[in-house]
Amino acid sequence: MTLPYHLVKVCGSIVFAAQGGDIHSFSSALQHISTWKYPAVQQADESKAPSAETEESPAPEGPPAKRRKVENGKDSVSNGQPKSKKNAQAMPKRPCALALTSDNNTILSADKFGDVYALPLLPTTTTTTTGSESAPSPLPSQPQSRSATPSTPTTTTTPAAGQTPPLFKSQANELTVHTKRNLRALENQKISLGRRALAEQLGANRPQFESTLLLGHVSMLTAICVGTVSVAGGKPREYILTADRDEHIRVSRAAPQAHVIEGFCLGHEEFVSRLCVAPGGKAEVLISGGGDDDLFVWDWVKGEVLGRAAVLEHVKGVAGQEEASKVAVTRVFACTWEGRTGVFVVVERVPALFHYDFLEDNTLQHRETIPLPANPLDVDLVEAAVAAPRLLVAVDTATSTSTEGRGSSLIALEKGEAGWRQSRVEDLPAGGDITMSTTELQKILYSTESLRKLSDFD
Amino acid sequence: MGGDKIKKDKRQKREEYRAAIRQEGVSELPRKKFYRQRAHANPFSDHQLIYPPSPDQMDWSSLFPHYVVDEPQDQQTPAPETSTSQDLAPLKVKRISKDVEVADIGCGFGGLLIALAPTMPDTLILGLEIRVSVTHFVEDRIKALRAQNDEAKLYRNVGVLRANTMKFLPNFFRKGQLSKIFICFPDPHFKARKHKQRIVSTTLNSEYAYVLRPGGIVYTITDVPNLHEWMVQHFDAHPSFERVPEEEQEADPCVAIMRTETEEGKKVERHKGEKHVALFRRLEDPAW
Ligand SMILES: C[S@@+](CC[C@H](N)C(=O)[O-])C[C@H]1O[C@@H](n2cnc3c(N)ncnc32)[C@H](O)[C@@H]1O
Repeated sequence: MTLPYHLVKVCGSIVFAAQGGDIHSFSSALQHISTWKYPAVQQADESKAPSAETEESPAPEGPPAKRRKVENGKDSVSNGQPKSKKNAQAMPKRPCALALTSDNNTILSADKFGDVYALPLLPTTTTTTTGSESAPSPLPSQPQSRSATPSTPTTTTTPAAGQTPPLFKSQANELTVHTKRNLRALENQKISLGRRALAEQLGANRPQFESTLLLGHVSMLTAICVGTVSVAGGKPREYILTADRDEHIRVSRAAPQAHVIEGFCLGHEEFVSRLCVAPGGKAEVLISGGGDDDLFVWDWVKGEVLGRAAVLEHVKGVAGQEEASKVAVTRVFACTWEGRTGVFVVVERVPALFHYDFLEDNTLQHRETIPLPANPLDVDLVEAAVAAPRLLVAVDTATSTSTEGRGSSLIALEKGEAGWRQSRVEDLPAGGDITMSTTELQKILYSTESLRKLSDFD
Repeated sequence: MGGDKIKKDKRQKREEYRAAIRQEGVSELPRKKFYRQRAHANPFSDHQLIYPPSPDQMDWSSLFPHYVVDEPQDQQTPAPETSTSQDLAPLKVKRISKDVEVADIGCGFGGLLIALAPTMPDTLILGLEIRVSVTHFVEDRIKALRAQNDEAKLYRNVGVLRANTMKFLPNFFRKGQLSKIFICFPDPHFKARKHKQRIVSTTLNSEYAYVLRPGGIVYTITDVPNLHEWMVQHFDAHPSFERVPEEEQEADPCVAIMRTETEEGKKVERHKGEKHVALFRRLEDPAW
């Protein structure tokens, strides 16, 4: 079967779209430019990818060490070990969500154990520590996760095996467009497919992997973003916003004061899965979504709820979804055009895009439900030199009910007089074929609802 | 909201029912043997916990009924805990006249709470315990003590809640609400693999700093030298805390109580074990 595109990311005039382990780049006219293939993704591995997960249980009960041991019996790790001998590989904890600091220099990686690590976007080639000179470099074997100090950074560096160049650097060089955001896209896509491949990559080519523990929840993290507020007469203040499966949204100062929790945005009664800081000069407003029936709008600086906007109600309005009783929000995407702000929401397994207006008084108002031929997986705004907004939506064609819905899994939505005109992006490169059952693939693509707690009462 | 809310309401009714029973004046002290439970509860799993979505929605009135302010005030945000699905009228939460200021994290059978209560009669003290039946024991113990000391009005300032403090502390307490946090004889989790379950860690210490006001104190005590070192190391390493000097520590009357009055402390006494104490003061946040 052919994998759908599952992530789209617009970086200036280049559009990146991920499909399994491949990243394709397109012009803003949606003409294919190039394809980058994840080096270690091989058919044989892909088919095993879901079961190769070492930690799938939602209850994080992991080892204290920053890196997990992965039993790896594959001989594709060319270390000369006999195939039969199990070989323990170190790998970093799988990120659940990523963000970049506002200076574009640091990746913030939030993991399922609740910790947030800072990683330099472009790692140094030396294995010595970064951060404070005073902090002793821990032994790699020393458990550091929760014992590491948030503000006097304890930096852990995975020892380099051989002379392999750093993973992230070499990947950046592969890309035709050398922006920093494309690396983020790269990071994002590692989360889903090709995890086994990543494990092998990290095991085989141990990159220099410096990371600093910044903060941690005990709950599994689901979303992270950076917020910046300007201060009259002072430097802008940067914050890290983190959301977890236990309904919290936490607001911490950015490094080097990430140990200071400034506040919480509390009110969700189900998991939070998505955070979105409002654009258009409304940097203190946060929109969050998750397993609740509504989106929440917050003044995250004050930790106050400003309002809610129904989602379930509109999901029920989508044909065939009358029985919908709950939602799992998987995307909240905001963009501005012609002086107004639109918020587009994707709900897991619902073939529509929910369009809200974000108004001057900070309310979110449902504007329209844009029906789609299949379940959307991601959405971004293609910045074209046109007045009307043009959205690019990745859809899971396998979920299409009509034959018309099959075919290209990238759909362009153009705002016209009479609503949104949909057109398939036809110039898609070949590839993305995989031997995997639909059920397996669906488990990977639709994992958000599984964040819901089962243990409700009576 | 629908279904989930209704379920939560049922839960709340049970809670209220229990609260009502409590006030019927049972004065016999509970017996521990009816409340024993497996020693450990995994702080990472979901459990079936009751907690308010935010501190503003916490109904403290059943825990501290003597502090209820007569006039129930309108709640800005509806409190699901106090509503029923049929209840369409504006939701009310009974307000109490004070905020909880002292928390005993992992209070166990409540010895510290009971000993502290008369020493700070104007301060609300709350024990938080993850194990259900242990929490029930403390509830019944407080109920009985209140009844026995009705005239002296003792023990009205102490309450207990079942909670997983590693996850839900900010659901109960606002920023800077607490002046003292006790962490007495926490589970040691000896194995390195289990260190993540320890109730003290640099990342969790940020949450303790959040609920503590500047100048507030974290009290720790343990008989496990290793764990003592761990706690000292992790609080020392955290920029929001400084160690309280020994002289000041020994002058603090709470320290003597903490040494002798918790169940775990008494056990250590019987076994002639050592007790290691360390106090940490919450510092002001640094300038940006
Ligand atoms: C060894 S006992 C000490 C009890 C009491 N402080 C004493 O000194 O007698 C530790 C207690 O902490 C409780 N506990 C452990 N993890 C907890 C958590 N995450 N939240 C609340 N209580 C917890 C345990 O259930 C246990 O009762």
